[in-house]
Amino acid sequence: MYRYDEFDAAFVAGRTAQFADQVKRRLSGELSEDQFRPLRLMNGLYLQLHAYMLRIAVPYGTLSSRQMRKLAHIARTYDRGYGHFTTRQNIQFNWPKLKDIPVILDELASVEMHAIQTSGNCIRNVTTDQFAGAAVDEIIDPRPVAEIIRQWSSLHPEFSYLPRKFKIAMTGSPNDRAAIRFHDIGLQAAVNAAGEIGWEVWVGGGLGRTPMVAKLINSFVPNEHLLAYLESIMRVYNRYGRRDNKYKARIKILVHEEGLESIKGQVEAEFAEVRGGVLTLPQEELDRITAYFAPPDFADRSGDKVDVAYESIIDPAYGRWLDNNLHPHRVPGYASVTISLKPVGGAPGDATDTQIDVVADLAEKYSFDELRVTHEQNLVLPHVAVADLRAVFDVLVANGLAEGNNNLITDMICCPGLDFCALANARSIPIAQEISHKFAAPERQKEIGDLKIKISGCINACGHHHVGHIGILGVEKKGGELYQITLGGDATEGASVGKIIGPGFEAEQVPGAIEKLVDFYIANRTSADEPFLDAYRRLGEAPFKEALYGTV
Amino acid sequence: MAQSSLAPAAAPAAHEKLKALGILALNGMFDEMDAVSVLRYAITEVLPGDMAIVSSFGADSAVLLHMVAQVDPSLPVYFLETGKHFPETLDYVETLKKQLGLLNVHAIHPNPDDVKRFDPNGDLWETDPDSCCHIRKTEPLEPITEQYGGWVTGRKRYQTSERGVLPHFELTSDDRIKVNPLAYFSDADVIEYRQAHSLPEHPLYAKGYKSIGCAPCTSAVADGEDPRAGRWRGLNKKECGIHYDFNGAIASPMSAATRHTLWKDGAFIADPFKEWAEGANPSEARYVHVPMAEFLANREAYLANPHPLGLKVSPGDAIEEAADDLARFASIAISFPAFTDGRGYSTARLLVERLNYAGEIRAVGDVLQDQIPHMWRCGFNALVVTHEPTREALKEDRLPEMALFYQPVGLSEVPMGTRPFLRRVS
Repeated sequence: MYRYDEFDAAFVAGRTAQFADQVKRRLSGELSEDQFRPLRLMNGLYLQLHAYMLRIAVPYGTLSSRQMRKLAHIARTYDRGYGHFTTRQNIQFNWPKLKDIPVILDELASVEMHAIQTSGNCIRNVTTDQFAGAAVDEIIDPRPVAEIIRQWSSLHPEFSYLPRKFKIAMTGSPNDRAAIRFHDIGLQAAVNAAGEIGWEVWVGGGLGRTPMVAKLINSFVPNEHLLAYLESIMRVYNRYGRRDNKYKARIKILVHEEGLESIKGQVEAEFAEVRGGVLTLPQEELDRITAYFAPPDFADRSGDKVDVAYESIIDPAYGRWLDNNLHPHRVPGYASVTISLKPVGGAPGDATDTQIDVVADLAEKYSFDELRVTHEQNLVLPHVAVADLRAVFDVLVANGLAEGNNNLITDMICCPGLDFCALANARSIPIAQEISHKFAAPERQKEIGDLKIKISGCINACGHHHVGHIGILGVEKKGGELYQITLGGDATEGASVGKIIGPGFEAEQVPGAIEKLVDFYIANRTSADEPFLDAYRRLGEAPFKEALYGTV
Repeated sequence: MAQSSLAPAAAPAAHEKLKALGILALNGMFDEMDAVSVLRYAITEVLPGDMAIVSSFGADSAVLLHMVAQVDPSLPVYFLETGKHFPETLDYVETLKKQLGLLNVHAIHPNPDDVKRFDPNGDLWETDPDSCCHIRKTEPLEPITEQYGGWVTGRKRYQTSERGVLPHFELTSDDRIKVNPLAYFSDADVIEYRQAHSLPEHPLYAKGYKSIGCAPCTSAVADGEDPRAGRWRGLNKKECGIHYDFNGAIASPMSAATRHTLWKDGAFIADPFKEWAEGANPSEARYVHVPMAEFLANREAYLANPHPLGLKVSPGDAIEEAADDLARFASIAISFPAFTDGRGYSTARLLVERLNYAGEIRAVGDVLQDQIPHMWRCGFNALVVTHEPTREALKEDRLPEMALFYQPVGLSEVPMGTRPFLRRVS
């Protein structure tokens, strides 16, 4: 994985010193909160309901065990013994003190980490497929280009005060696991007629109040021109994105209001000016960065196999875990392992300092010192030898991390909600907990199969409810909390936004409502091989609505 | 002057207590409108004997004080006697004390030495209202606040946009608790409560004063206007500073002497340019930055004008529209109405990198030290700066500048044709 050279290290140290000075000026009162806000935000520091929250960047979701241990140390020393992994592949700490922030940033810098641009109206951490560099279905590992974009966008002087935040996601696989069509810019690896690898550029996707599927603005941008193309989009957005209303300030609204053709015309005109200029990426530079992401030294273990059916009989929990939490690796005899942060009754994405340490140890011992954070708030050991799976599983069991529920109904995305967030209208974690209790039985989860539930505590949609096969949105109604249910969302290459199908429910009615939908699906699917989303698409909204609300 | 001996000694760290209670849970415990329960819980359970209230005895203070009197009439109530109040307000203090049965009301006076030093003529409010608030409110309150673990305030969400997310219980950055029982009350709720309990009205309320502070800085508001619009009217000031945070000092007193605001080539220098005036004759204008729209509307006249001129580009203006005429201008002013509006950076880069403009490019408006390094990189070569800490930082050459850049910007950072990540140390 990428390692800082002297320049990177000095850059982060310089930035940390700069922010330490800004914190000092805020504490002394020289900076007002209004002046401090955009500065702290660009360093990942939020003011939540009652305390500061520090969001730390995990660039493209990749961590070493050393970095992971540092996160455990921060959780233990400066927070309340846990961290929360987010849908942006970052980690956030909910209780740091302002005066400790510079020290925490120093600690992070010592392991080549930072919190730069994890918030604020700038270009945020680039996210990608959690199985990048490991997945069998990948065209190319997107991380070298993600690293180059990270460098180009870091403290960009022209694009630090955009109309609104700006998120880029990329995937090297045709099977989109990074939700690229719901980002401001999504990049999908593509191969042109000459057999060269480049990028499809999608623009104007997003969730929030106004969910939109991104539109294809260019079907092939070669690596050498990618930065120039991105800068062209950024400049058009910086100049013409709306600033009169923060809810209409994302690029999706600009693209929607002006139309793709108009925006494309402006971007292409800008690109014609900057193409071939200083941002041209030479192959040597791409090669230099790519070398950092060279595959680890895999052994020939192609003979190693695991018999899932057999293991399931011996130890059903292990069998379930094998069944659900492995992803095919491009090297025979290896697998990518998803470590679920969704135990029944837990807060999705939370991990204790001990658990973080344990995962770091596992990565060091069994995964070539590498691990990943997924946008679905789980962790991944990308390169585990099949022969080591049992050993990994046993350690996970001992630390409450062995839930074999990846992609099942209890593997929910969930925002922090009203329990933590200043924006929320409703609680979301307790809803996730109730649902996971309702569907706790493993047999039941297996019967239901792939089903993604995503929960947001307000319209800002941090819990991605719009793209849940079943989405749950908490709203405030007459002083109480009410939950709307959406159906048919999809974050992958089949991108679609879920639809609200009827009136909302009280919190305690939500698990029952989900159960009605699930029961209807099971009764009406063509076979156990037809997943919920396919059944919904085949049957349409009406019968599900009837199942949920009864006949009119 | 309030006697510190009247106040109880500080209880064990409020923060510890709060941790144990969990402030998140506190905010979920009460109905939004159940202010009395919030207050009672705060005073009797959260910090018994370690809470107080600062009241302005203004237009809507009676509601909270009435609640206080019900829960605990001996709760310490502090009143900032700034020396600048309306006489009606001072009468009102006595009226409420008597009628509500408040047993523990103290007036806090400014330090007479500070008043003598910074406001000998009593007119500081006119030239520097921030400093006036500072010596009459923030400073005198500080030793009092230090004695308590928590405070009751009458702040409400609707009052200013900054208060929009106000919860019932807050933790300040110096580990004190602020309790806002009325957080969810609207103007109408306040009036309804006042009527329901037949509370006396501030004598000035009926005369259109909806939010009442010191006499010189308070004016009446029109119907439908924000109730706080009458505070510091005409000034970009919404809070006196005591509510920012207990450790968030506001601007210190300073002289209002005239000063140069144009920073160029490492010094503040006299600015030949003056403010452009609406309706000025295009052929007579000189040493002004003509707004883009005005220039385009009277292009011929300005091009025929022989005097030195500048162009003012505001966010939303497309600099390309003046591309052919840029050589006409000695200076181009790019305005930042708010530092958060980053359109000016693109304008500057286009001027330098694409339109080959080589004259003065100055940033005007909300120009602050933390953005200046970005401005230099994007091609600005002059600044108009009024923000005092920024001026100091410029003079002392201590901008929060990064020495290292990842991306090439401008004409000089990376020569054309070299690799994009040729890293440059400034």
